[in-house]
Amino acid sequence: MVRARADGLRASEPVPAARIADGVKIYGRGEAAVLALDHVSAAFAQGALTAVMGPSGSGKSTLLHCLAGLDRLTAGQVLIGETDLGSLDDKSMTLLRRERIGFVFQAYNLVPTLTAQENIVLPLTLAGRKPDAAWVGRLVASLRLEERLGHRPSELSGGQQQRVAVARALVTRPDLVFADEPTGNLDSRSATDLLAQIRRAVDAFDQTVVMVTHDPRAASYADRVLFLGDGRVVEDLDAPSPDEILEALRRLER
Amino acid sequence: MLRVALKGLLAQRVRYLLTAFAVLLGVAFMAGTFVLTDTINHTFDDLYTTIYANTAAVVRARQAFNPGISYQTQRPPIPAALVAAVRRVQGVREVSVGIEGYAQLVGANGKAIGNPASGPPTLGEAWPLAADMSPYRLLAGGRPPQGPGEVAIDQHSASVGNLKVGSRVLVLTKQPPRRYRVTGIVTWGSAASPLGASVTLFDHKTAAEVVGQPGKVNEIDVAAAPGVSEPELASRLRRALDDPSLEVVTGTMVAAEGQDAVHQAMGVFDTFLLVFAVIALFVGSFLVFNTFSIIVAQRQRELALLRAIGASRRQLVASLLVEALVIGVAASIAGIAAGIGLAAALKALLGAIGVSLPATGIVVGERTLLVALCVGTAVTLAAAVLPARRAAAAPPIAALQAVDLEPEDDAAHRGAIGGALVGAGALALGIGLFASTGNRVALVGIGGAVLFVGVAVLAPLVARPVSAALGAPIAQRSPIGRLARQNAMRNPRRTAHTASALMVGIALVSVMAVFATSIRASVNSILDAAMQADYVISPASASSMATGFSPHLEAAVARLPDVAAATGIRAGTVKIAGRTMAVLAADPTKVGDLFDVGVVAGRIGSLGANDLAVSEQVADSRHLVLGSAVPVVFPATGRKVFTVRAIYRDRQVAGDYVLPLAAARSNFVEQLDYQVYVKLRPGVSAAAGRQAIERVLASYPTATLMDQAQYKAQQAAQIDQALGLVNALLSLAIAIAVIGIANTLALSVHERIREIGLLRAVGMTKRQVRATIRYESMLIALFGALLGLAVGLALGVALVTAMRTSGVTRLEIPVAPILEVVIVALLAGVIASLSPARRAARLNVLEAIATE
Repeated sequence: MVRARADGLRASEPVPAARIADGVKIYGRGEAAVLALDHVSAAFAQGALTAVMGPSGSGKSTLLHCLAGLDRLTAGQVLIGETDLGSLDDKSMTLLRRERIGFVFQAYNLVPTLTAQENIVLPLTLAGRKPDAAWVGRLVASLRLEERLGHRPSELSGGQQQRVAVARALVTRPDLVFADEPTGNLDSRSATDLLAQIRRAVDAFDQTVVMVTHDPRAASYADRVLFLGDGRVVEDLDAPSPDEILEALRRLER
Repeated sequence: MLRVALKGLLAQRVRYLLTAFAVLLGVAFMAGTFVLTDTINHTFDDLYTTIYANTAAVVRARQAFNPGISYQTQRPPIPAALVAAVRRVQGVREVSVGIEGYAQLVGANGKAIGNPASGPPTLGEAWPLAADMSPYRLLAGGRPPQGPGEVAIDQHSASVGNLKVGSRVLVLTKQPPRRYRVTGIVTWGSAASPLGASVTLFDHKTAAEVVGQPGKVNEIDVAAAPGVSEPELASRLRRALDDPSLEVVTGTMVAAEGQDAVHQAMGVFDTFLLVFAVIALFVGSFLVFNTFSIIVAQRQRELALLRAIGASRRQLVASLLVEALVIGVAASIAGIAAGIGLAAALKALLGAIGVSLPATGIVVGERTLLVALCVGTAVTLAAAVLPARRAAAAPPIAALQAVDLEPEDDAAHRGAIGGALVGAGALALGIGLFASTGNRVALVGIGGAVLFVGVAVLAPLVARPVSAALGAPIAQRSPIGRLARQNAMRNPRRTAHTASALMVGIALVSVMAVFATSIRASVNSILDAAMQADYVISPASASSMATGFSPHLEAAVARLPDVAAATGIRAGTVKIAGRTMAVLAADPTKVGDLFDVGVVAGRIGSLGANDLAVSEQVADSRHLVLGSAVPVVFPATGRKVFTVRAIYRDRQVAGDYVLPLAAARSNFVEQLDYQVYVKLRPGVSAAAGRQAIERVLASYPTATLMDQAQYKAQQAAQIDQALGLVNALLSLAIAIAVIGIANTLALSVHERIREIGLLRAVGMTKRQVRATIRYESMLIALFGALLGLAVGLALGVALVTAMRTSGVTRLEIPVAPILEVVIVALLAGVIASLSPARRAARLNVLEAIATE
């Protein structure tokens, strides 16, 4: 089923966790200018896992960075809940990332000098807040990290490192979690495991997650998949099967 | 391979820039010292040649030995009647007469112009009879002094004292103070004054009276008739005069003596500054070593790749050393250029503080270029050898491994090498400090350097626990502090080596602090125990035993009804047992009441004109007992034999030999007191006594009246002043260490770009990023300060112990300076962190976290 949602909003629904309205991002200037986002609008519903797919250079990472407050739009608007990111200075943006957004990157997710436990509570540490022990315990148990808490990243496997990153992303109970190719560096067994964990977090904690991925199998865990091409949203599928995803990608490459 | 090396250099140029800067600073200091001394030497070489251009020969009294650089007139005068005999010698075209002695000008504001106790001499001279043999050039609008009430003065004094032709000026001489009218202002050749000395020129008769002796002159200068050579004229004069107490030297020789004196003085200055240049370069070498270590570690994969595709280990080492060579040469050349600028600035500064130098160009000698270039390059190369070898030893397989490997050290190996170095250094230091033979200064220097290197080798072993302990307070207070502490502990070798550069400067500052505090305490305890006088009258800032006051001052004070006793102390240069030294002379009948030097045998009061007193230490080492004969050679009067009549303990104030006043009268040329001790009559209040004495001193502006507390404070101030100078120069070493910390942090930030990006992404504010780097920097600095304090205090204690026999009897560990050192180190840490912290905070988060 294919539906076009130009403004990304439906009047009857509650406020989405995040949305981008008419987002334009241009890198460089003059001759060298590259249009990375071309009037993109989209909304990300609360409690859903949304995957963003598209070929290299389609603007999917740019979209994620702008949504996550790591980069700024050239024109248009990004809202996290009711907060307009365009109105924030660097400090407020940092605090917003710390308090309301979680991150899982493809690699280099952890601070090498800190233990797994310290990495998990890092956003709280930076905010000078005490972690909620029960919540951390629940996260750690759910991600099967109890045995590894005292270890440093160099002593953890790739899959364990990414699970620690997921725990860190969830520890502040953020409005939403951005995952940028979280399984990109993992073998298929660890990848499957990690995706199952992210899915569980979405279902069990009603967590909003936006995930950029190349991998159709990863995208098939999502409630919804956005397809980007040349900086535009070209397709938007609700809970597609792996076959539907492959089909859409094939269409994109034509 | 050469191309690979140069490409590597270009790629890392920013990281190498600070390294080069550290070498540059050391080289600049060294080159600057060379250029400054060469320039000053050259200037005065020219000046002396010009001044003596028309003087073919000089007739003067023979000296028993050359007392070296001295501001006192050391040659006895010769009869003025000799002038007639000189005139009769064939080939003599003209004759001039030199009369020279102490004269102190007092400016219009009542302040003394120049102070021979702390600077160049204040001279009184006779206006030269023959203008073409005179070094002085009269400025327009003036005329030579005539009659007893007139003087001409040098241009420098005129400007300092705000004196003009027609001004009335007070002049202090060995006669009572008197006012004169200034009739002319003169230059010394092209300089405003001779070496910054203040000069008062009297007419001939007046000079003989107030600075010389009636019927006597100091020297006779002779100009040759055309066609008569200098040596020829000199030998004719010798034959004609035929007196063994006289010597006749050529003008060229006299010019050379002047030049030598300047060279000697500059040599001392030169050596003093070079010590600090060497220290700066030594610290710089730590920095080079550390930077190279870090950079090759960061390039490990690149280097391993080169190995994998077939570069030999030797080629790799060579390529890294070529990088070091280029940096060393470039930094040295830039350093020489900076040094020339530094010398020009210092020369201007010297002019500003009153050491007037004739305007001449800057002299850059071959020595400057060669030595500075070689030393700068050699230091850089030597420091790069170990890191290069270690990098080349990496297995080619490292190219294929994902992790950056900086291999862990073998602690036992490191401990053994470091321990051996520390042991060897301490041994050399110990021999240098405590043994009485060999080249002690060199041993101390080399021993110190080896000791520092040894401690630097050992430091990584303790870096982790020490950083953990030092960081504990901030780690407890803030999470940022914890991160910073972990960063400091992450690479103990890097932290330790960076801290070691700071250790050197801090250690030297601590040694000086312990030494100075102990000397001060020793002086105080001796003065407390020994000084029985109520007051000391001393030159405004007595730092040497240079000229002092007319003996009239002592007499005038002694005549006061409130004063029980006043006695002047004289000083002169003599040679005893082959050593040239300054000795004191005092009236034996009076000095006992005013100063207790702790007589252990005999009686000072019973010293006759041919007796002397010696310190216990000299008595022991030379096996002297009461009644032993001690030959003393005076520059003016030659060898005289004295008999030991007293042995005393306190050599700190009295020195090793004390002569009776009578001996000074008959053998010293200058009859001036350098200090006067005063005791009030019982019942006279301090205030009344002071008032009475001050009234006498009103006409002696160089004299300062001090009670015991003030005298102690003055002694302490002198020590502090010397300490301040040394610390100022050592701050160069600390500045270089700060650059080192900044460099290490910059390299670490570069290495941790992704980590910082991650932290920023998950919510670390820019301020927190800066704080993390700042804390890490402060931890490194604090570690360095701790190492420095440990080494410095140990060395300080050793030094003071070694100096016990030289009068440093008290050992005191200064608390305030230690705290200051810690504060300075923390500040240094903050300063060093500024630029790396700013760069880290400014990192683009996106670029930092971008996946490859």
